[in-house]
Parts: sequence; C-alpha cells; structure tokens
Amino acid sequence: MKLNERSVAHYALSDSPADHTGFLRTWGGPGTPPTPSGTGRRCWFVLKGNLLFSFESREGRAPLSLVVLEGCTVELAEAPAPEEFAFAICFDAPGVRPHLLAADGPVAQEAWVKALSRASFGYMRLVVRELESQLQEARRSLALQRHSSCKAVANRCKPQALDYWSLGLENGHSLPRDYSPVGLGEEGGSRWAGRALAEGVLQGPANLLLGSGQSPVSPETSCFSTLHEWYGQEIVALRRRWQQRTQGSQAEYGEQAEQ
Amino acid sequence: MRYNEKELQALSRQPAELAAELGMRGPKKGSVVKRRLVKLVVNFLFYFRTDEAEPVGALLLERCIVAREEPSGFSISFMEDPERKYYFKCCSEEQCQEWMEALHQASYEFMRRSLIFYRNEIQKMTGKDPLEQFGISEEARFQLSSLKE
Repeated sequence: MKLNERSVAHYALSDSPADHTGFLRTWGGPGTPPTPSGTGRRCWFVLKGNLLFSFESREGRAPLSLVVLEGCTVELAEAPAPEEFAFAICFDAPGVRPHLLAADGPVAQEAWVKALSRASFGYMRLVVRELESQLQEARRSLALQRHSSCKAVANRCKPQALDYWSLGLENGHSLPRDYSPVGLGEEGGSRWAGRALAEGVLQGPANLLLGSGQSPVSPETSCFSTLHEWYGQEIVALRRRWQQRTQGSQAEYGEQAEQ
Repeated sequence: MRYNEKELQALSRQPAELAAELGMRGPKKGSVVKRRLVKLVVNFLFYFRTDEAEPVGALLLERCIVAREEPSGFSISFMEDPERKYYFKCCSEEQCQEWMEALHQASYEFMRRSLIFYRNEIQKMTGKDPLEQFGISEEARFQLSSLKE
C-alpha cells in the first residue's frame, strides 16, 4: 500500500507542536526476532497528534518508524529486560503484533501511557464538539441577556432604536440570504457548527484568522475590522431574530412612530 | 520509514466520514483518471480499486492544501510540494462541495486549533476553563503554548 511518506515525514519534522517526546526502548524493527528479547534499542520518540514517530536520535531528520494510534489500546507490559518500565500498543487486527516499548522510569512510563491512550483523532474530535456546544450555549445565554436589555431600551424609545438598527447595521453588512445566526440556530448542536466551520459560514475569529494565516488564539490582536465583523454579525443575527419574533407587532410600531 | 501495512489496512476498514467512487489521478506525469473508491477515515484518505478489499494507497491529510479544480473536481497537495497534486473528479458540484468541506476538517492540527480557539472564547465569556471539569486542562495537546505563531 502506498502512503504519501514524504509528506508524513515532513509533518513529523514540521514546527507544529509535539504532544509528547522522549527516549524509549523498542524491540521492533527490521531483523529483530518475532519475540522481543535482549535490551532492545533506544530511540527518540515523538508523538504528534495521532501519529507516533521514532528517530535514531533527538537530532534525527528522518523518521525510522510510524505507528498510527487509531483503534489501538495501550497497556502496561512485561519488559524482556529487567529494570525497564514497559508498555505495549496493541491493535485488534489479525496478524498485528503489539509494539513493545519501555521508558526509563515509572513517571515517564505513566506519562507515555496517558499521552498515547488519548492520542486518537476521535478523542480530539469529541473534546472539540463538546467545547463547540458549550460555546454555543454561552453565546445563547449572553444573547438572551442582551436581548432582554435591548427590549428595555426599545420600550423606552422605540422609533430611535429602530432607526439605529436599520441605518447603523443593515447597510454595513451583506449576509447570505439563508444566513443562520451563530450560536443561535434552532438546529444547534455540533453538527451544525461543524458544517459551519467547514463552509466558512461561522465567521468567527477562528475561521477568519485561519484563513488569513493569523493566530486563531488571540483574536484581540487582530485588526478592528475583523472583530467588528465578528461581533457585528451576532448583532445582526440578534436583530433578525428579534424582528421575526415581533413581526406581528411591527405594524403597531410603525403607527406609534408616526404619531 | 517503517510502518505496518496491516495497521493501516485495519484503519481503512473503520467507519468512514465520507466514501464514494470518484475519478482519481495521481501526481505523476502521464497519470490518467481512474475510478477509485475513496474513503475518508479520521485524518487519512484511503483509495481502493473498486473490486479490491485492500486499499491501493493512503494520504495523511496533515499540512495539505485542498483546492477547487474545474469542472466539478478538487485537488489535494501538500505544503512541502504544492505543485504535486492529486486530482479528484466528482459527479456533481454538491458532491465536490461535500468532499472539500469534509477534507478541510480532516486534520488533527485543524481540530487542535479549533479546540484552542473554543477554549479561549469560552474562558473569555464565562471566566471558567471548560476543560477543568474533565480534568484535562493540563494536557499538553490542549495548551495555548503548543501553538506556534
């Protein structure tokens, strides 16, 4: 089976962060017997996302091996050599031997087992989806707060408030017709948010900044127009929602304004 | 670089985010479009001959560039050599759109950036670290410092 090995090696050496690194003993590799014996071989291991790479040394520029940490379990194991703190990466697939590895001490062993057992793409995706829905929830409750304070303002001076909304905001933004408000969608949940991320509909700093090559981490460091766009959309969405809700009483508003 | 094909084959049998028969052309000069079953499983794109159980090949989708190719197709290339493109031909605009969206999210590094962004936003809005309740706030893979500028 072919693999884009050059790109894989490139990813291994890229400046994106490593999730765990260290020296481990390994008993795999070409020319080694099927049952691990002896002291094995000491290699430098780098965990990046769901990929575990090994290198000849810390400075090694070409990965010796790759293990994709999907559909596997990580278990404590007996090392063939004494004074080793071993563990094994086991795959539930026919004819696949476990990868036996050993750390220098119990602390390193525990850290490796922990890091490896949480390395799968599925785990990362689960946490992302959880946070996605938490953020939607937080936005929703914030929107509700703002909504009720908007209503208070509107009740005091309806015509002015309406003028402000229509002049100040609507002209400044062009939105797709079927634009669904961020964090307010009825069909909420991660599916929507996930799709939105892909489509670039969720024009949050993450997408805007990722697109323009800036850091998604510190939206506050980005330019004002980006932030304005971002928060402006929330307001436009709120307004749209508010209009829909009060559609029935809109006519009444108009009459009142004229009086 | 050593890797166990059987492990990758096992991964290719896992449930797919997306799978379809597409036209596919490799990056080599003189390659022609061939019918392939293309399967997206986590951050790997597997491609099969339509009558075979084991994949012909796999592409790791980290540091990749997904681009629109006319008509109704897309290409995948990788940062270290963006000119070396894998072409895929879809049946319709909708299918093409669907694949490009799915591929866009099919990277661990994309997931990581999204996570860190959400974590940061939630913390700003609520003053609380959303990962604390799961006891994973210290984990290396979720740290702000793990992102390079």
